[in-house]
Amino acid sequence: MERKFWEEEIETMPRKQLEKLQAERLRKTVEIAMGSKFYAPIFKERGITPENIKSIGDIRRFPFTTKNDLRSNYPFGLASVPLQKVVRLHSSSGTTGNPTVVLHSKKDIDEWANAMARSMYAIGLRDTDIIQNTSGYGMFTGGLGIQYAAERLGALTVPAAAGNSLRQFKFIQDFGTTALHCIPSYATRLATIFKEQGVDPRDTTVTRMIIGAEPHSEAQRKRIEEIWGCKAYNNFGMSEMCGPGVAIECEEQNGMHIWEDNYIVEIVDPVTLEPVPDGELGELVLTTLNREAMPLFRYRTRDLTRFLPGDCPCGRTHRRLQRFQGRSDDMMIVRGVNIFPIQIEKILMQFSELASDFLIILETSDDNDNMTVQVELAKATDDFQLLENLKREITHRLKDEILMTPKVQLVGKGVIPQSDGKAVRVKDLRNNH
Amino acid sequence: MKTIKQISIFLENRKGSLDKILSVLSNQEIELQAASVADTKEYGLLRLITSDQTRALQLLNDNGFLVNLNEVMAVTIPGDIASFASVVSSLTANDVTINYLYTFSKDGKLVLILKTDNMEKAESVIESQGLELVQGWE
Repeated sequence: MERKFWEEEIETMPRKQLEKLQAERLRKTVEIAMGSKFYAPIFKERGITPENIKSIGDIRRFPFTTKNDLRSNYPFGLASVPLQKVVRLHSSSGTTGNPTVVLHSKKDIDEWANAMARSMYAIGLRDTDIIQNTSGYGMFTGGLGIQYAAERLGALTVPAAAGNSLRQFKFIQDFGTTALHCIPSYATRLATIFKEQGVDPRDTTVTRMIIGAEPHSEAQRKRIEEIWGCKAYNNFGMSEMCGPGVAIECEEQNGMHIWEDNYIVEIVDPVTLEPVPDGELGELVLTTLNREAMPLFRYRTRDLTRFLPGDCPCGRTHRRLQRFQGRSDDMMIVRGVNIFPIQIEKILMQFSELASDFLIILETSDDNDNMTVQVELAKATDDFQLLENLKREITHRLKDEILMTPKVQLVGKGVIPQSDGKAVRVKDLRNNH
Repeated sequence: MKTIKQISIFLENRKGSLDKILSVLSNQEIELQAASVADTKEYGLLRLITSDQTRALQLLNDNGFLVNLNEVMAVTIPGDIASFASVVSSLTANDVTINYLYTFSKDGKLVLILKTDNMEKAESVIESQGLELVQGWE
């Protein structure tokens, strides 16, 4: 019989034992990070030594690490090992200052590939699959990260890389691709290419899709599953932790199991930085437990999520995170109200009259914040009344959600700007921003 | 029912949007028979009747426009205002509401393109006036 797990012992480890393993690995990680110019003085000041780490509760003794720490110690300030032991680096684009650099040892690359292979196995991918990766192969971890993992899994891996949709279209059909890795907006765009070429994406061999690296709602996932006639699984990764392979939904599709043998997972209030009560929304904070070139302690991911309660029927004991509800730093404060773009997306997805693109425009008029939400119509009508009613209904439902009345603007196809990677959701034109 | 096919196209209220739509249909050997633009402050609808609605619809759709194919009535009346008024008042008298209408001149006569809330009733009212509904032009 085929085995159900990639690593049964670890994936189904009883919580007590898992926490013991975490504490052991935290001790080991502190030992490694003593070699870091950044962490060594902090440990000294706080009296943190490997010996006095008794349980994972000791994590509260560590300060938070932020993206800014990575930027100001660019490029190698957080290395815990000599550069001789580092075999690869990945980096963010750095459009707003120094890029962030993440270093990997040979073992780090190996553990990363294993974690993502475990994730792939959890969604039912096997060595018989043909996995096509539409992520850029470069500094972005979605390229090589998926490549190594899919090879580790034993699948035939197609490094199609980003863009060139007609080539993706051809490869999928010629190679009989069974699984795609892509960002959600690209899944939609690629489906359009198929339709333009007269092929229904549902008629392809694609049965599974790994989607991530871009916030998306449950409705957007359902739409992707419907147009492709496949299952789409939400995958979480971030380059600071390694890349893809941090957490993934299992076949239950109800929350992402975060691999707790690799991370200590905390959810904190983004303002007070205190842990939120179990099950409440807060910012995800991660401590790496299985990395050596550049371990990070209490790294603020800026992603907002909560723990899902209860056990998962799949048998894995690693806790599940709810689909991300936005980022603590893309929260908009509009007329004093905290609003996340995902709240708006969630509402818009309920309207079958609308396509998936939208744009929030913030402007100042008469010293007041005004919000316009441009929404893309999915189909035309001959009836103004229908369009006006639709506008009114969208406005009404948005108001219930965000507690202010936005101006809703209906637009046709192709009006909302598409950046090449992630979808642009907010355009802030306010005077003071 | 005696109706003709009309294409309605969602129109952005921005520079060049009408231009873009029309250029898609240019040089395609499609004759324009009637057109109307109606708008609100933010968007509008372009309504078209052409000699080849199937192909016009396909072209517009392929070029990413939001299009809707629907049915309207076309009736030819003498070109004087009194005849026009008589059609309108007979519809009103029979509780048929006109959603919109537009007109064009053809061979010295006036053609009304009509959308009403009750197309069947409108048809019988118009026919009882001794007027004929057009079902297409050569």
